[in-house]
Amino acid sequence: MKFKDYYQTLGVERNATQDDIKHAYRKLARKYHPDVSKDPDAEARFKELGEAYAVLKDPEKRVAYDQMGSEWKAGQDFQPPPGWDAGFEFSRYDAAPGDAAEFSDFFETLFGRQGQHAQAHRTMHAQGQDHHARVMIDLHDAYRGAQRSISLRMPALDAQGRVTTHERTLDVSIPKGVRAGQHLRLAGQGGPGRGEGPAGDLYLEIAFNPHPDFRAEGRDVYLDLPLAPWEAALGATISTPTPEGPVQLTIPPGSVAGRQLRLKGRGIPGSPPGDLYVVLKIALPPADSESAREAYRTLAKAFDFNPRTHLKG
Amino acid sequence: MNQTQMTFIQGAVVEEEVRLTLLELCQACSAEAGHVETWVFEGVLSPSGDSPQNWSFSGDSLRRARLALRLSRDLEINPPGVALALDLLDQIAALQARLQRTGNE
Repeated sequence: MKFKDYYQTLGVERNATQDDIKHAYRKLARKYHPDVSKDPDAEARFKELGEAYAVLKDPEKRVAYDQMGSEWKAGQDFQPPPGWDAGFEFSRYDAAPGDAAEFSDFFETLFGRQGQHAQAHRTMHAQGQDHHARVMIDLHDAYRGAQRSISLRMPALDAQGRVTTHERTLDVSIPKGVRAGQHLRLAGQGGPGRGEGPAGDLYLEIAFNPHPDFRAEGRDVYLDLPLAPWEAALGATISTPTPEGPVQLTIPPGSVAGRQLRLKGRGIPGSPPGDLYVVLKIALPPADSESAREAYRTLAKAFDFNPRTHLKG
Repeated sequence: MNQTQMTFIQGAVVEEEVRLTLLELCQACSAEAGHVETWVFEGVLSPSGDSPQNWSFSGDSLRRARLALRLSRDLEINPPGVALALDLLDQIAALQARLQRTGNE
């Protein structure tokens, strides 16, 4: 187990006041909140922040944590000294940030598992808890519909009432026309009901695996299509990939980079279906041989062309 | 040809096929009715219907309500702040979509 330096995580000194800690947490939490941040590490960072704050904002936990001494460095192998927590009693009912927050082994060794109350406070409802999960599908699944087996890690209570996670596999029909960000509701697939109560529902948030060629935006799909300069200038008929298979696409003469050709109704199916936008890019052939350089020189002689006339300088 | 048929679970696309009552929305995002009522008051959610008992929420309300809940809980933002944050996040998403359309990601 590695030692975690919670002061370092929040960027505060060991003698910081409770207010300093709160301010530091709030500032970093806004920066790394997964709903707000575009940082790829946001989720992991936010979890770390939540854990550090859960300890340092609570005077009892903070004192206990400080007992460990200031000699420890983050990442160092760590075992708590025997009897380190004598005389402290921790509330296990802190509201933890994040859905069913899972804190590190380090945290759980020191302060016990969190989150038991998340299930307990819903006893007034006989219906089981609704669960949420995110599933990644391919863009092609949205075009054709698909049947997928997905494995989910679900929190569950064991016989002693402790939270455990167990894995289960669900065979799910992905409906044709589903889009990223939409939710699929699977009735009765959430948490088990209490007593006679019905089970909760399972909500699956749909996300697309990144595709090397296509990007989806709502129901519309975009493709960058590189053209040779002469194809753009003279027009051409180009075999173009679409999620439903290649089509022959007519490039009008005089096309410029950035121009978009719309293939109506070839986006994600639905009523109305989305469109497929082909964004034209112009690729220059490399001048890596004498004949290629000669061709460029011929081109230069053939044109009286200054692409910078619009620059005012 | 005989094949063993696997049963695949059919789901409903919440954003297109589902409308939620106040109770269903609370259940679906583990929020308290009081929170949802405050967000309706602040304009975060716009149900049809004239009273909480008759409210009917569009499927997209689920995403918005969960987002509102996470922001208010994780960042300790009050309801008007949540409403502002959601408006700004919508604007950012629209701008990003425009950038993506022109290929300037």
